[in-house]
Amino acid sequence: MSSPSSPRSPEDELTQSEAERYDRQLRIAGFGRGSQLKLKRAKVAVVGAGGLGSAVLLYLAAAGVGRIKVVDDGVVELSNLNRQILYTTEDIGRPKPEAASRRLRELNPEIEIEPLQEKLTDENAEDLLKDVDLAIDCLDNFETRFILNRACVSNSKPLVHGAVYGLEGRLMTIIPRRSPCLACLIPRKPKEAAVVPVLGSLAGLVGALEALEAVKLLAGLGSSTAGRLLVIDGYDLSFYWIDVRRDPSCPICGEKWWIEER
Amino acid sequence: MRTIVKTFATLREAFGGRGVLYLDLPDGSTIKDLLKALRGCGSVDELDDLVEGRSSVKVLVNGREITYLAGLETRLRDGDVVAFIPPVAGG
Repeated sequence: MSSPSSPRSPEDELTQSEAERYDRQLRIAGFGRGSQLKLKRAKVAVVGAGGLGSAVLLYLAAAGVGRIKVVDDGVVELSNLNRQILYTTEDIGRPKPEAASRRLRELNPEIEIEPLQEKLTDENAEDLLKDVDLAIDCLDNFETRFILNRACVSNSKPLVHGAVYGLEGRLMTIIPRRSPCLACLIPRKPKEAAVVPVLGSLAGLVGALEALEAVKLLAGLGSSTAGRLLVIDGYDLSFYWIDVRRDPSCPICGEKWWIEER
Repeated sequence: MRTIVKTFATLREAFGGRGVLYLDLPDGSTIKDLLKALRGCGSVDELDDLVEGRSSVKVLVNGREITYLAGLETRLRDGDVVAFIPPVAGG
């Protein structure tokens, strides 16, 4: 997106201020300037700017991910503030992408934030995703998650899935056509709850893990949770790993679809 | 024999907020038998779906998903911990 005339600093080097800002992570074994430059050149879509999105956006902006799309059609409400730590009481009534952008620019003025006040649909998904390196699922319902999953698979964009409920969390990364997608994991769409109970710290925990997955994928570090669902039980702080297999007959990413596509 | 059942998310709520249930089952019982016994503790559509093989609830026995064991026919032993983990959608 950024042209040579962009006011942004060059993409193949770190400015002095960036080197200082990211000093502590540049010291991480296996990270270094090469990884930081990968983050700087990256573009991601954070879909949903609520409890998960708050943590994801703060950590990705702080880590120096160069361009971040913030996609949400909601406005800040008082009942959001137990978990949506991106916002303040003063933000009530403001569109979330706008309030988020303001806060993220204060945190890190060296990156680009693109606020998009819209709901993800089958119609706009491709357009929203076409220029990003990956998408992060910070949504609050199954229906839009399945739209995002479908769009990520058909556009071959890695997707980091996270979800919370009460004191519980779920995390799984999806590498289209190489690892199981959300429809392989959840073959039957469950009933939607009108309002989902959530403790803020659980949304923060899962959001922080999603940000970690995104940074690793962008910087080429470590291994991801592709094919492995992490289930977090906050009641006794136990963590379960569940192996998930690709469903060959998955209507979204199954082999049949793949053959037809080719 | 005694089976320890851990319920998650909506299933936890369906069983009165109790995250852990203790069920006495006849020796040699399977997951399918356990599901029948659980019907006595509360009516849960998701468990019926599970019996009919059209559920997204993950079932783990001592941390291993039953898909990698014998599915609904997986035999339980005294002290086994069975977890029922539905997908969640909060954010």
